[in-house]
Amino acid sequence: MPEADLVLRVEHLSHSFGGFKAVDDCTFEIARGSISALIGPNGAGKSTAVGLIAGALKVQSGRVYFDGQDVTRLPAYKMARRGLLRTYQVSREFPLLTVMENLLVPPPDQRGESLLNALLRPSVGRRQDAALASRAVDVLETYGLLPLRDEYAGNLSGGEKRLLELARAEMANAKFMLLDEPMAGINPALIARLDGHIRRLREQAGITFLLVEHNLDVVERICDQVVVMASGRTLAEGSMAELRRNPEVVRAYLGGGLDERAVG
Amino acid sequence: MDLILPYLATLAIFFFVYNILTWGLNIQFGYAGVLDFTFITFVACGAYFSGVFALGPGQKSTGFEWILGLNWPFPIALVMGALAAGLLGIVIGLIAINRLRSDYMAIVTLATGTVIYGLVSNYTPLFDGFDGLAGLQTPFSQWLNINYNQFTYLWVGFCAVVMVICWFIAQRILNSPLGRTMRAIREDQEAAEAFGKDSVRVRLIAMSMGAVLAGVGGALLMGFIGAFNPAGWTSGETFVVWAALIVGGRGNNWGGVVGSFVVAVLVNEATRYIPPIPGNATLIPTVRNMLIGASLIAVLWLRPEGIIPEARRRFYQLPLLPGRRTPAEGVGSAGS
Repeated sequence: MPEADLVLRVEHLSHSFGGFKAVDDCTFEIARGSISALIGPNGAGKSTAVGLIAGALKVQSGRVYFDGQDVTRLPAYKMARRGLLRTYQVSREFPLLTVMENLLVPPPDQRGESLLNALLRPSVGRRQDAALASRAVDVLETYGLLPLRDEYAGNLSGGEKRLLELARAEMANAKFMLLDEPMAGINPALIARLDGHIRRLREQAGITFLLVEHNLDVVERICDQVVVMASGRTLAEGSMAELRRNPEVVRAYLGGGLDERAVG
Repeated sequence: MDLILPYLATLAIFFFVYNILTWGLNIQFGYAGVLDFTFITFVACGAYFSGVFALGPGQKSTGFEWILGLNWPFPIALVMGALAAGLLGIVIGLIAINRLRSDYMAIVTLATGTVIYGLVSNYTPLFDGFDGLAGLQTPFSQWLNINYNQFTYLWVGFCAVVMVICWFIAQRILNSPLGRTMRAIREDQEAAEAFGKDSVRVRLIAMSMGAVLAGVGGALLMGFIGAFNPAGWTSGETFVVWAALIVGGRGNNWGGVVGSFVVAVLVNEATRYIPPIPGNATLIPTVRNMLIGASLIAVLWLRPEGIIPEARRRFYQLPLLPGRRTPAEGVGSAGS
């Protein structure tokens, strides 16, 4: 694959917690504009890999390149400012902020966040807020969350929180979204809506997606490329159809029952 | 009447000062979630530095020694005290916030405060050790010829003006995007970082702005009493401000007003004027502390968000661009 088409490259990433090697020489590449999946049995090191890429965990060895630059040592907030947004396995809304406020936090370059502007020129923040709120209304409408705009985010249902996570990432002008089990624990109708939004964001905003996902139906339906991890390392890469024919993958993933038992 | 009015004026001064202190702690904890267990150290910093800027030079030979001693007019000394406290806020913030998460951070603030307390009360060249600063000329006396009662009334007015300025500082931060980001970090620090927020920078701002208000409050006490020593800022004092904030309601500054009135003024200060009970001198202070503790427990059990909870910011309060649909129309046109 030519260099210019890659948005993320992970090289020989390793990470241990105490004596336990959670990620062990993990290497893969993600093409720009793709929707990719990271799959593997529980304990394969997927979430750890996500944490390492997003800068939430300090990389012990290996390298991470994002948009052609070495970002191995960047902390989480700097990764986000470069356009790499991640979500968590468990929804991490700001519970005592309203849904609307949850959407106003993520946008980058807020001039009202400077102390001097906050104290001496509050109109600077207010003016920018007006524009952001206006955009947030559109985003909330898209996700069907507009009637809930004044609700505390902590009071939303599990499914609504999942939608809110995507809406927030959209407000943050993401280039790359790293979603850790975005479909976990939600009903099939909502899964269809979520994957619709993911495809829409790829088409409209050119956002690249990497999903950690256990639901192989979803993976097969929306992902172009799949990376399989097992015991901390990358086992295989390719399309879902190719991976189903790979005996090593079939053996690692759920003890061989890839076709019969892999859903859910 | 001659006794009651000055008494009420004194209580008013404590009320205004405690309002400022509670708002300061609110910026740190109520907005940004920083567990500052050494808040009184910033109050002391403001008191000491305003003192040494306003006092004349100390002299070792007379047994009074302190740094600076510049004879500056008190209002300017107050600003210097506030700035010194703000700087100390950044220093303690860097020690506590940079590497640690909330509970450990709380322990580190307490430990740092204890170190500073030991240093200040034992190293006399700084602020005259355990004897502390004393002999401050009543502020404004170089310009006005007034007696002590008149000064008390004047000080009520001065504290009120300073308090209004502090109210605007606290409210402007709360209602700005900076305040929103502080609250987001309070709610979930890791998630805020995942959205590009530099949580260390934002919490340092909260720490130091809270410390500035603490310093202002300390300076106002210094100007009123004219003396300040380590007996006035034991770590227990920190928890009076904490109790006021928790009882009144954090995350909004009206809660701070209610809390400072109930806990700090009614329980903590007003009871100091009750004459000691013969043969049982420590009874009243003990009951006072028990009352503060009991009010804290009662609120945490019955109304954990405080007497006045944090206000929910509804959408119509958020500014919309001119010509933009109103929220009501927004609901109607959902899906268009």
